[in-house]
Amino acid sequence: MNGTVKRYRFMAIFSGIMSLLLWFVELPVKHLLHNESLATSLTWIPIVHGYTYPLYVLAAINFGLKARVPMKNLLFYILAGTLPIASLMAERSVARKYS
Amino acid sequence: MSTQSNNQRLSKIWQGLAILLIAALFLALGLWQLDRAKALKQSLKTSTQVDQNRLSLQSLASAREALPASAINKLVKVSGHYVADFKAPNQADGNKKVSDWEVGLLQVGTNSGILVVRGLWSERLLNPEISQAMVIDVEGQILAHQVDDHSENSQNVISRLDSALLVSKTDLDLFDGYIMATAETHNGLALERTRPTPEKLNSRIPGFYWQHLAYVVIWWLMAGVVLYLPFYRRRVTS
Repeated sequence: MNGTVKRYRFMAIFSGIMSLLLWFVELPVKHLLHNESLATSLTWIPIVHGYTYPLYVLAAINFGLKARVPMKNLLFYILAGTLPIASLMAERSVARKYS
Repeated sequence: MSTQSNNQRLSKIWQGLAILLIAALFLALGLWQLDRAKALKQSLKTSTQVDQNRLSLQSLASAREALPASAINKLVKVSGHYVADFKAPNQADGNKKVSDWEVGLLQVGTNSGILVVRGLWSERLLNPEISQAMVIDVEGQILAHQVDDHSENSQNVISRLDSALLVSKTDLDLFDGYIMATAETHNGLALERTRPTPEKLNSRIPGFYWQHLAYVVIWWLMAGVVLYLPFYRRRVTS
């Protein structure tokens, strides 16, 4: 159980950081600054974010099964990975209840 | 009792149908992203390849008509007289180097004309022997007109490479798009200039190939999650 919580917390923090980078660095550079060379140097952000999220979802389901989390909470954990800060809030909530 | 069990069964059928519908929607979204990834890969391949055959301008495009998409990027040969000269400031070449370009209006035949990027504005006086009466043979790549302004318009300055800006300045029927000259000759004698390379074309499909594939993985995973949720509920509540 401890390993499962740690894995979920790690993935929640990692996807939270990737979401923050995507929403507050990559998207503004691409759509507001119109700086093509800078935008090109940041192409790794959406790609890493894209591949992180499925791993985050799998970690959330694994944690939900082990901790017998109600389905409503599991859906919150899964969707939390799509918004910046939400996954970090989910991580804090899990750390308080299960660590 | 029987009515209650019938209602429960009906409710389960509706829930099952809803789950299947949502899963099918996620699967379709994954397929859509897979198509986008394939189309992006294909468009990157075609937009960066230049057909090496040199064709006549008139075989690819007509004056006063929009440049066909199939003509963009093609190498063309055309002969005519330069009847006007413009400065196109702040233009970026294929290496992202920004400079001011000399753009000539080449009269083709008796009543049509096309914009030709001849070279750097700073080198415009390299061939003082060339006059408007001389026939110049131009070879170059034909490109679509620019949409974004790079400066202000004035008498001999054009803000972007777009023949629409010259409609009030000439009686010629103008071709859409412009030619990025790679060579100019007069009576077989080459006019030596620094020729800017065209800006690299991007695909019209936004995003990156591996990014679209990541979305495929996400949508199909979500379809799997939706199909798994009833079993999850059963396992958690048992």
